[in-house]
Amino acid sequence: MISDKCTADTILKVNDLDVYRGNSKVIQEANFSIHRGDYVGIIGPNGGGKTTLLLSILGEIEHEKGSIELFGQNTGNFTQWDKVAYIPQNAIEFDDYFPLSVKELVSLGRVRRSNLFRRLNSKDFDKVNEAMDFMGISDLAHRRIGQLSGGQKQRAFVAKALVRDPEILFLDEPISGMDFETQEKFYMTLSNLNRHKKLTILVVSHDLTVVFCRMSRVICVNRKVHDSEIRPDLDPNDFLQKAYGDHFHFVFHSHSCHGDFNGV
Amino acid sequence: MVFDIFLGDLPKLLRMPFFQMALIGGCLISLICSTMGLFIVLRKESMIGDSVAHTAFGGIALGLLIGTDPIFTAMIISILALLGISYMRSKGIAESDSAMAVMLAGGFSLGLIIISIAGGFNVAIMDYLFGSILTITREDMILISVLGIAVFIVVMLLYKELLAITFDERASRMNGIPVSGISVVFNILMGITIVLSIKVVGIILVVALIVIPALTALQLEQSFRNTIIYSMTFGLLSMVIGIVISGVMDVAAAGVIVFTGILMFLMVTSYKRLKKA
Repeated sequence: MISDKCTADTILKVNDLDVYRGNSKVIQEANFSIHRGDYVGIIGPNGGGKTTLLLSILGEIEHEKGSIELFGQNTGNFTQWDKVAYIPQNAIEFDDYFPLSVKELVSLGRVRRSNLFRRLNSKDFDKVNEAMDFMGISDLAHRRIGQLSGGQKQRAFVAKALVRDPEILFLDEPISGMDFETQEKFYMTLSNLNRHKKLTILVVSHDLTVVFCRMSRVICVNRKVHDSEIRPDLDPNDFLQKAYGDHFHFVFHSHSCHGDFNGV
Repeated sequence: MVFDIFLGDLPKLLRMPFFQMALIGGCLISLICSTMGLFIVLRKESMIGDSVAHTAFGGIALGLLIGTDPIFTAMIISILALLGISYMRSKGIAESDSAMAVMLAGGFSLGLIIISIAGGFNVAIMDYLFGSILTITREDMILISVLGIAVFIVVMLLYKELLAITFDERASRMNGIPVSGISVVFNILMGITIVLSIKVVGIILVVALIVIPALTALQLEQSFRNTIIYSMTFGLLSMVIGIVISGVMDVAAAGVIVFTGILMFLMVTSYKRLKKA
């Protein structure tokens, strides 16, 4: 996907980043760049700092040392947050009795500073319908969000993020705990978003097979941060041993890479 | 026959200015209570109405002591209490339930002190404790109309932002919605709503006007838009039925309005249960 690094447009650049939570150093000397159109898997052990890394990129957690640049601007005085969408780890754990239809939820994505005091207009609703279409949830538009399955909820939240026309999308463990088919379908949709909408995606995932088969770049966070482009000649084992240590052995799931999602 | 006795006085009552004012004022107040109430119930802060109404007692006593309209002092104290509760929560000093307890205690105890210093103004105080919708004056009516309509307009203007913040405050902040500013505005609206409600049902039952219509509407499991419309409908219905029954049968308006709301809540909940079974 990213073949020519020199001309590729860097939209996220992390330099020498140290992040502390309390007194412990959670991220140490992170250095990596993400280019427009990348589809990035963020992997690493639990407690390794994946969420912390995302939150410090999003400016939610202060960093001690180093710098983070989004679209060439330091995040300290970054102003184009409307280009950035983020779906947190527990997004779908809302109160099931909250009275909100799927369409209303997705519409909330169009609520922003610039349309304060105004009603959403027809352009907003065009975006909402388009995003629901793309995520395959149009037929659920008038259902209450509490009645959806986990996979459907997650699709609704991605649709809510998409209506903002982001250029980069962060997802933190979007489908953990869901069945294999739901996960497969979800990652297929993300691949489509990445290809057809040219959306840059960073997704925290525990599914190493999906990361190494579907994505263009991998970042392993285990206090230290290792990253690599995923090329056919990249041996996942070599990369993971560098990040986790020598004792690590990577086992592909039974459904190892079977082509890409284009034909599905 | 029975019907005649029951509604005999109604046509006459409807022509009386005091009764007309009670109906119009009551409806305006129930409209803002049932919209604000839905946000409050969803924020799991139902008791904020109770807490702040009791805090307002201090303001009412202060107003009676210094001889200004107690509504204004009560509003100032209520808005300060609401801002105080938000502040305590955001700074991690107290969770909202204990912050509400502190405000309730502070305001009410201040009220008791002021009353005993002043040597007591019992009659006036009773009106504020138990409500006095059937005795509102023309000035009250103008005040209720202006403030009620203003609150309603602002809530409608901020509808989508309030919904976004109520559903997910953090996401709203990250999407650039001015959450802190809107919270301050919401607290001011809430303070006004609570104090106006004291006029209708009194300090002790304010919480009912705010919580019951919203909670009844929530039983219907609808979209947010429909839920807020149902909440207003239930609020208006119990207000009108309550005032009419109270006028015709000469029983305490606050009691009838709130009890009608409770009956509606019971009816809707049982209907939902029966339908599910």
